[in-house]
Amino acid sequence: MSEQVELDQLVQRLAEGDRSAFTAAFRLLWPPVLRLCRGMLRNDVDAEDAAQQAMEKILTRSSDYDPARAALPWALAIASWECRTIRRKHARRREQPEPIREGTSETDQEELHIQRELVDAAVNAMGTLSETDRETLVATFWEEAASVQGPTLRKRRERAVTRLRAAFRRLYGLD
Amino acid sequence: MDSIDLSPIERRARRSYELSRARRALLGVVPLIFVVLVAALVGHRPGSTLLIGSVAVVWGALLLWYGRDVRRAVLPGVAAGLIPLTFALCARLVGHGCTGDQCVALCVPACVVGGLAAGIAVAAVGHRDRHGVAFWLSTSGLAVLTGAMGCACVGYSGVFGLVLGYGAGLLPSALRALYSRSKP
Repeated sequence: MSEQVELDQLVQRLAEGDRSAFTAAFRLLWPPVLRLCRGMLRNDVDAEDAAQQAMEKILTRSSDYDPARAALPWALAIASWECRTIRRKHARRREQPEPIREGTSETDQEELHIQRELVDAAVNAMGTLSETDRETLVATFWEEAASVQGPTLRKRRERAVTRLRAAFRRLYGLD
Repeated sequence: MDSIDLSPIERRARRSYELSRARRALLGVVPLIFVVLVAALVGHRPGSTLLIGSVAVVWGALLLWYGRDVRRAVLPGVAAGLIPLTFALCARLVGHGCTGDQCVALCVPACVVGGLAAGIAVAAVGHRDRHGVAFWLSTSGLAVLTGAMGCACVGYSGVFGLVLGYGAGLLPSALRALYSRSKP
């Protein structure tokens, strides 16, 4: 049995109230969730905090899990939302510019800052999309199995990207 | 990734999972709380109605929180229990039927007939969906408790009548369903 199918079944069992599936589901979900948080937040401490909170949210919402959908993209969509919340919190707190680290040039710092701003902008734009769109984009980006395959997935991805572009344009006035 | 101790994170996640299930269970029994309040307002003995209703609410919440097969017992249990409850409350409003010199309180016959109908309804659902013993017991408990809120109108005899009617309606089908499940 593939890991994806096993995870789908475990989350479905959790949704039904089968506690014996908890540890196995947790151990299967943790690595991809942490990987996603590390990818989005680019800071190990923040990523671990976000992953912990995301795991709590995922398992809290496991009773709402729809067995017709794949569990991993569903869980990663919740985790990406959690990362977005943490980034927003940090952005609000960041009233003073960050101190320049020793050993990094001013150009590197600027590059890092621009990259961070871009990721923030993308995450914000994603936040305006529907849960299905977010799930599709997260699954595409992390090359995870989505709840649908083939032409349906392609169409769904196309539509999600179009909507993301529109949201980006609406929010920032550029593609 | 390997350096992270997952046990405390898992413990916290498990607690969140249980809390969310408990919250959902409490939300799930809100309609039953409403039924208990209406029954207490309309009924003859609000004290005993509230007492039995509280047990029914706690029982229903526990079933929803636990989940699995017994979670599906809540809706049919409450729905079936509403039959004798409605009969008993209507009988209370009518009072008694008189034939010549003799007058008979309608509560007990209403409870027996309502219990019989509830038993048949639960048996039909259990038989159709091929549920196990846990479902039959959980649904029956909830149906009898819901019905008993109205049948306590004449004390224990009303509740006894309800159980008698319920058993008569349920037992044949329950035994047949459980026997057919145990066959290889």
